[in-house]
Amino acid sequence: MSAIDTEYWYLASYPKSGNTWCRVFISELQRLAAKSEPQELNLNRDIETGAIASSRHWLDDQLGVNSCDLSFAELDPLRGRAGESAWLFAEGERFHKVHDAFKSPDSHGRPVVSTAGCRGVVYILRHPEDVVVSLSHFFSWPLERCVDYLLDPTAALMPGERHGGHQVRQHMGRWDQHVRSWADQPELPLLVLRYEDMLAKGPETFMTLVQFLDLPTEPVLVEQALANTSFEKLKKLEEQVGGFAEKPEGCERFFRSGRTGEGAEQLSIEQRMRLAKGLGEIMERFDYEGVELG
Amino acid sequence: MSPGDWRLELEGIGWFRAFGGRQLSWERWDDSVSDRDLRTFLVTSGLAALVIQRGGLVLHGTTVVREGHAVLLLGSPASGKSTLAWCLLQKGWQLLSSELTVVDAHGLVAPGIQQLKLWHDSTVALDVDWQKLPPVRRGLKRCALGSSELPVAVDPTPLALIYDLGRRKPTNLKSEKENLKDDSNANQEEESSSSEQQLFRAWSRKSERGALLTLRNQAYQPRFYRAMEQEASLFMQASYLLKRVPVHSLNAPDGITTMRNALEGVDLFNPESLFRQEEHLAAVEIES
Repeated sequence: MSAIDTEYWYLASYPKSGNTWCRVFISELQRLAAKSEPQELNLNRDIETGAIASSRHWLDDQLGVNSCDLSFAELDPLRGRAGESAWLFAEGERFHKVHDAFKSPDSHGRPVVSTAGCRGVVYILRHPEDVVVSLSHFFSWPLERCVDYLLDPTAALMPGERHGGHQVRQHMGRWDQHVRSWADQPELPLLVLRYEDMLAKGPETFMTLVQFLDLPTEPVLVEQALANTSFEKLKKLEEQVGGFAEKPEGCERFFRSGRTGEGAEQLSIEQRMRLAKGLGEIMERFDYEGVELG
Repeated sequence: MSPGDWRLELEGIGWFRAFGGRQLSWERWDDSVSDRDLRTFLVTSGLAALVIQRGGLVLHGTTVVREGHAVLLLGSPASGKSTLAWCLLQKGWQLLSSELTVVDAHGLVAPGIQQLKLWHDSTVALDVDWQKLPPVRRGLKRCALGSSELPVAVDPTPLALIYDLGRRKPTNLKSEKENLKDDSNANQEEESSSSEQQLFRAWSRKSERGALLTLRNQAYQPRFYRAMEQEASLFMQASYLLKRVPVHSLNAPDGITTMRNALEGVDLFNPESLFRQEEHLAAVEIES
């Protein structure tokens, strides 16, 4: 097996920050570059960038045990060692989605994802006010609950220990802790992308992405892939397949708006102030404007 | 790790080693680790490694028996194997082997570990008194039901059928919304309203290759076979088994109580009765 077959990257983000768009773009670029498939992208068939790093099936295979027999506190320190064997991510899937923070309170100071052989991480972030609105539609939660969630240092996906699931718990913490955990980690080469730049400066931003990921960089291909995965196009493709597979029940559509600035429109001043107060430092670092704190 | 020397380190729990198909040894991490902790991994991963070293076929699934015939329920973690098995045991079936199943060259399933592990939420939905049951391990919200609480079969039993179990909502469609269920609302199952979604549905494997890959992927575990250089043997044994035993996919309704209710009238020995109409016609065409 050549080294190139086993190279892999992470696409890390807080949920609802553009991770899926990124994966769809990568799939489409690879499809165009392969020139083997004349049909249009099928959202529910072609998005095969790689397993999510929290997949229980994948972890069981990597760790050699039934992870249901481990508590989350026992599992987190082990997760970073998943994949130490030579077969890590060797199934041709090279871009792995991650929603966990880089480390968890249970991981003994170690990453919860494997870093051995990893080429790098693309960290995608989005204005937290817009994340709140998007989460609210996705989870069918009121905006206030989503504001609480972004500010919760214990926030996690799959937090319940009383039932099984196809993914293990993913500790995220507060939104700013999540960003910092990835943006300031020294172990993996890093590319930070802002969702807003992916939207406003598409060709330039996605060119940086493909260069980082060693994907085809012909401008015509990148622009075509971008055009084929524009938000309007994705909405249309979602209609064609009768709902994107990753859309939760109760959520009308996965590709809903994609706009920026919805948070400023829909959140109350109090809600925006809470976000600015709790997350201000990281918002400022990444040029996100919030309300002025008096 | 060499082919005849399988080792597993579980930080905080212990070290495990299967050697030459004969010897299973362990060392606990520290004194806080209980025998039950060690046993949990010895009788699953440890035993599986030993069986593979002996050249056996070990699959990730639970086998139940009725009237002298065995049905193997394969499935990825959290696919509902134990819950379905528990429901079947309430309807006159017996447990032959749980979590991992060893099948010999004649298609006989050996009696194995006879313990069902049910998540706390499953016990609540199934009216099982979890407070009277030991946890799988201290601190886990999973209960262990052993052979004293369950009807079990004790003789090797010929395998009649294999089902690859999935839930109505396939694995990769599980959303983050689903994942966010916390302890406070996890008991409130969303029972599906459509009648089709409340039924068990089976379909046949279209190709021998598909069936073979199902068995290969549900080995316990494919990575063990690779590491022990037994992958060719796995394919050969799986292929041989497929000549004797059919493999079907079985889609169970999502929701524990829905699944239990849907079992009424289901004949697992007659998978065709669980086919959709069009699938049934296709199967008839193939046969004719």
